[in-house]
Amino acid sequence: MNHPMYVELHARSAFSFLRGASSPEDLIAACARLGLPAIALCDRDGVYGAVRLHKAGEAAGVRALVGCELTMEDGGILPVLVASREGYRALGHLLTTAHLRTAKGASRVAWSELAPASDGLIALTGDEAGPLRRAWRERGGDAAAAAGERLLGLFGPDRLYVELQRHLLPGEEAENRFLVAWARARDLPLLATNGVLHAGPSGRRVADVFTCLRHHTTLDAAGRRLAANGERHLKGARAMAALFADLPEAVANTGRLAERLRFTLGDLGYHFPDYRVEPGETQAGRLRQRAEAGARARYGRAAAAAQPQIERELELIARLGFSGYFLIVEDICAFAKSRGILVQGRGSAANSVICYVLGITAVDPIAHRLLFERFLSEGRKSWPDIDLDLPSGERRETVIQEVYRRYGRRGAAMTANVITFQDRSAVREVGKVLGLSDDLLDRCSRLVGSRDDPSPRALGERLRAAGVVGDQPRLGALLDVCRRLHGLPRHLGQHSGGMVLSAEPLDHFVPLENARMPGRSVLQWDKDDCEDMGIIKVDLLGLGMMAVLQESIELCAQRGEPVDLAHLPPADPATFELIRAADTVGVFQIESRAQMATLPRLRPENFYDLAIEVAIIRPGPIQGEAVNPYLERRAGRQPVTYPDERARPILERTLGVVLFQEQILRLAMELGRFSPEEADELRRAIGFKRTDARLRRMEVKLARAFRDNGVTEAATDYLIRSLASFSLYGFPESHAISFALLVYASAWLKVHRSAVFYAALLNCQPMGFYSAATLVQDARRRGLTVRPVCVVASGAPCTVEGSDAIRLGLLSVRGVRAEAARAAVAARGERAFAHLEDFLARTAFTPGERRALAEAGALNALAGHRRAALWHVAVAAADDDLFRRAAAEGVTGPGNAGAPPAAPLTAMTPWERLQADYATLALTTGAHPMKWLRPHLPGLVPAAELGRLRSGLRVRIGGTVITRQRPGTAKGVCFVTLEDETGHANAIVRPALFERFRSVITLEPALVITGRLQSRDGVTHVIAESVAALGGTEMPVTSSHDFR
Amino acid sequence: MKEGSASPTASPAFAVLRAEAFGVQALRRHDPALAGRPVALLTGAGREFVIAERSPEATGIRPGDPAALALARCPGLCLGERNVEAEVEAQRLLLAAALALSPRVEATAPGMCTVDLQGADAAATDTALRRRLAELARAGLEVRAGLAASPLVAAYAARRADATNPVLVVTDPATFLAPLPLAWAEPAPACAELLEHWGIRTLGELTALPKADLANRLGTAGVALWERSAGQGVRVLRLAEPSRTFAAEWSYEPPVESLPPLLFRLRRYAERVAFELSAAHCVADGLALTLFLEDGAEHRREFRLPEPCGQPDRWMRVLQAHLDTVRTAARVRAARLVASPARPPQVQDGLFDTGLQDAPAFWDNLARIAAIVGDERVGTPEPGDSPRPESFRLRPPAEAIPPPAPAPVHAARGPVLRRFRPARPVCVACAGRRPVRIEGSGWQAAVRDARGPWRASGEWWKPRAWAAETWHVELAAGGLYQLARAGLAWRVEGLLD
Repeated sequence: MNHPMYVELHARSAFSFLRGASSPEDLIAACARLGLPAIALCDRDGVYGAVRLHKAGEAAGVRALVGCELTMEDGGILPVLVASREGYRALGHLLTTAHLRTAKGASRVAWSELAPASDGLIALTGDEAGPLRRAWRERGGDAAAAAGERLLGLFGPDRLYVELQRHLLPGEEAENRFLVAWARARDLPLLATNGVLHAGPSGRRVADVFTCLRHHTTLDAAGRRLAANGERHLKGARAMAALFADLPEAVANTGRLAERLRFTLGDLGYHFPDYRVEPGETQAGRLRQRAEAGARARYGRAAAAAQPQIERELELIARLGFSGYFLIVEDICAFAKSRGILVQGRGSAANSVICYVLGITAVDPIAHRLLFERFLSEGRKSWPDIDLDLPSGERRETVIQEVYRRYGRRGAAMTANVITFQDRSAVREVGKVLGLSDDLLDRCSRLVGSRDDPSPRALGERLRAAGVVGDQPRLGALLDVCRRLHGLPRHLGQHSGGMVLSAEPLDHFVPLENARMPGRSVLQWDKDDCEDMGIIKVDLLGLGMMAVLQESIELCAQRGEPVDLAHLPPADPATFELIRAADTVGVFQIESRAQMATLPRLRPENFYDLAIEVAIIRPGPIQGEAVNPYLERRAGRQPVTYPDERARPILERTLGVVLFQEQILRLAMELGRFSPEEADELRRAIGFKRTDARLRRMEVKLARAFRDNGVTEAATDYLIRSLASFSLYGFPESHAISFALLVYASAWLKVHRSAVFYAALLNCQPMGFYSAATLVQDARRRGLTVRPVCVVASGAPCTVEGSDAIRLGLLSVRGVRAEAARAAVAARGERAFAHLEDFLARTAFTPGERRALAEAGALNALAGHRRAALWHVAVAAADDDLFRRAAAEGVTGPGNAGAPPAAPLTAMTPWERLQADYATLALTTGAHPMKWLRPHLPGLVPAAELGRLRSGLRVRIGGTVITRQRPGTAKGVCFVTLEDETGHANAIVRPALFERFRSVITLEPALVITGRLQSRDGVTHVIAESVAALGGTEMPVTSSHDFR
Repeated sequence: MKEGSASPTASPAFAVLRAEAFGVQALRRHDPALAGRPVALLTGAGREFVIAERSPEATGIRPGDPAALALARCPGLCLGERNVEAEVEAQRLLLAAALALSPRVEATAPGMCTVDLQGADAAATDTALRRRLAELARAGLEVRAGLAASPLVAAYAARRADATNPVLVVTDPATFLAPLPLAWAEPAPACAELLEHWGIRTLGELTALPKADLANRLGTAGVALWERSAGQGVRVLRLAEPSRTFAAEWSYEPPVESLPPLLFRLRRYAERVAFELSAAHCVADGLALTLFLEDGAEHRREFRLPEPCGQPDRWMRVLQAHLDTVRTAARVRAARLVASPARPPQVQDGLFDTGLQDAPAFWDNLARIAAIVGDERVGTPEPGDSPRPESFRLRPPAEAIPPPAPAPVHAARGPVLRRFRPARPVCVACAGRRPVRIEGSGWQAAVRDARGPWRASGEWWKPRAWAAETWHVELAAGGLYQLARAGLAWRVEGLLD
């Protein structure tokens, strides 16, 4: 028997956030399995999952229709379907208006807004939360009919369908009978839907858990809020026909309505804004003019040599219609520069000479022989991606707000970042819903690491270790739901810097909503969705090191030693010596423990080596097993070979090893004869993080192409392995070179402007790999003096005194407000503080700030010692300000009040001062705590001595933990770095030992590690054999860089 | 042992009995599995769980340590939360011991009692006190005592006493107080933080500061703290009423099914009842033991002691002899022990004494029923908040008749179901999923019409998830029935009128 076509027109995905329980991709897969030709996604208050549905639908041959459930002002939920592009635009406008006027996460559409927006939209009467059924349940048939009349008035009889659902629940037929009778009375079409919440029956578990999360309750207490059964899954035409055997037209109408819904996201019609030019001028002409001027400035007399490449790029950019894009990005850079804000393009844009001459990037692609096609090519379907690095913090926000100002609140927005359930969050939330105790969940989530094996079995083992015993009756449910939850969206965040601009209001293409940050709006799509839809973003990224460089430049200028980063002496020997010695704490990108362990082996000698150093310690090359071959070849211990002789020109600079994405693309074009279009497809597959299906398809295609072109089986295997590893994150060469500029600049500053560099680093915290405490200890080891905070000498930020002394700023003290610190410095500028009373009278610090300043020793110059200061500020805090000021100014004259009487408190001991330093500053300008403890810890080898000991010796090291790393590429090995008064000691903890001492390693602030010393090529580690807490003392708790 | 100057100035007027780590001790009295193991109690919630108290075996950790860190530092650490029932029990034990010293006793804080000894003979008190401490130790509660001229100093002394010197007498308060930790004077958290910053760690260091300056900085709270640190201040004891009933009732969670755990807790409660009898200068001439079983039944037995006595050891012999012979149909979830008080043997028994003489004081009709069937089994049934068929819950009896509920928007229509209890199993033949014939339990008929199915399922997170599918069928032979299917089994659930 033939069944009528059925299309599910009311499905929700997990992008309804804690409602739908399946991803759009799973819904499409279920449609394909069930033979449904189309599906409409009606997520709550948005089209968050529409692009994913569209892309998955394209691949599976299922038509993805766009819809949405609108939350109305009275709380009713109205499902609407998009029939045309006009309808889509109206929906975007409705949603944007509804979101922007409410707090993040909320949306309310006014009934009055529907009338002008309803063209191109088709309404359904909805499910139990819909206007009709809700009214019927709460107020009876007359109220429901009235609600229906309102919908009829808004949408008319041709754009309103009466929705029927059957979930095999007692009592539902009474509602359906009413709906059928009302529809027949008004001559409206019936429409069968299943109100889908999950792709298959088993998705009901996730839906129930979501219900509990939404209602902040547990499964045991949720009662009737949970689904009564598991029928809200996608059903095929046969099942739906059987369900509605008595109302066949309701099923048949789904196919008819689906045919009316002509709009898909393929018809989006997005345009990047044009750059405004003078009448008679073209954007391409303006770009040429700007490029030629830039070339003269960049290359001077050598501009002619660059001209062919400039011409080639200009011609291609003009032909692809991207001229305006380059001009707009240049405009943003120009704005930043006009405000004195450092800006530098990163990523593949550095492959373009046009970007270089326009001042967008700082890397000369001709000099570095960079591949322009990695950035832009003939076959490229999508827009090029230009990412700009800006100093993090206020300066970056200045640029972002300028973009908003220029393009309007609806013409620019940040791209979204979809926060998904990961193991740790899933265990915590599901455990809570299952009623597991808080302390147990706390232990679980502390022990579930982001790098742990996510399989249910491994998770189960970990939970057992946390005290969820094996026979815990709910462990099975916990593991099962966590597995299903993994990767589903939890809520919408904001991308770190991706901004989308549009010629038309952006909500014509995708709705906007408020970000949590004031003054920001965010799209409902993430960056991959935007790229898939051809929407261009410009990344305005905040980079801590850019802020450090900016700060350093300003400090140097203030000190009369101006530094021009663009004209630093190239190949400075002292700088490279520092880098080769791995003395790189604070240096951009090469300060991590893994980088420091590689530097003595790689021994960089020139700028390009820095780019290799930056690129080589990434998951891509590590997983692709490129690191050791490269280092061995570089050291001459292994011959340089090539997988194929034709690859020699491409891989020569990296000694036959694939290190950069460009190399993969060039190999694909040279050895696999990929067209530019195919190479671009490959590039996108490498960069696509959401699933690896795209990459797998490209791997198969490329392997076939290699073999067809005579590449040997072994070489093909190697190259495909390299490709696979790049999906795990590898750098483009241009990006590595852009970063290498910052590496060199920061290392140069560390060598030649040490005090300024460390002061800037401290002012820009938190950033980088190490805490302020570690930076200060490193500065001290380099011979710098770090002076304590002092209200008569410190500025608000850290400053430089003399040639080699850093003075901590008032803002180094925890809890001190910037405005109060600046005001104090200004008051001191007017007249020096005569004594403590004078200071208290003329500054606006709160009692808490005064206590913190006193405890940090910042008032010592006025009070003698910290406790005396604490004693005196305590009485001031208790006083009424008015009387205190009167006493200070009226009785004894302004600024002439007598010094306070001596305090009856004794001064702090050195150890107490150390504790107070860490409590108030999170660092100490004095000796490292280990210096005080060492006499009590016999047998510990100082870090600085490890390099002088014989490899294989058993040693004990101890110190504060400054890093705990367990990278995914290390197969469970944990790397721990301990800091003592002499430097850093690195330990390697193998997986079995890590599991044994997991709690101690992850929770203790200071450790003693015993193990065998391993030294090679100047790199020293301790292979841990046992780990213990460095207990028995009040070791100050310091921050550490853990598992990131 | 005496602390302070060698020449006593006066007899101590107050004694304080104090149990260190009271919560942990109380928990251990309750749970034999914790004996000898490192134990710590948690306080806070969620991520903020920190150690509140620890047993002496729990080395390497301190109050305030996060729970996870404590586990890392003390392998084998048993973490628990305060057990209010256990603490109430231990507190009653302590109070009874204090009342044996003097009728003027204050239950000052959990694990601490203050005894007014004014007028008591010092030597006799010391003997009695040491005997009581030894008895408490045998009952699982390690208690120290401090004696001084004021309750406050006596409390400090009790805290200062240790296992080697369990009774500490303060004769020179100034010398005694000076080295004590400031925290013992219980400064407010903000005050404590400030004083920590000042480097003030002992009572002596605080009292060395000028009181007026302290008042300028810390206000009245500072003055009060200064006075507490100096051992100053007089207060009137809030006297505790001695117990007039000699009974204990407790529950087992989880219920017990063997004798040792039953006897362990029984002994603990018997010890407390014996202490209370002793404090009232009484002994028991009879005992009544009630065991409450998991299936709702109870086992009750009264014992007439051969000779009135107040020694729990002898009671236990009688009780254990009986319990050795008892076999219950279900696990024991709770127990009650009532001792009938009597004067010591030299006093003649009252002719009309009964074990229930105090019953009117704490029994009323509702409580009696609740005590028999359990509180959770008393109430008015109403439909449960679950789609599960026949789901119901008990609403506690209302204190007033509630107003009538508004009429439902949609009045119930259709037939009424008369449930068969139990439902009747049948064999059902189906065409597709639809029933067409039923046989068994007296039926043998074709199905003329069938409506359904209606499906419900739930509690998938529990070991016993449930699922139900129901149909309404009209038999050819007449009659409208509700059929239910669970797996392959069918049952007729009832008749639809």
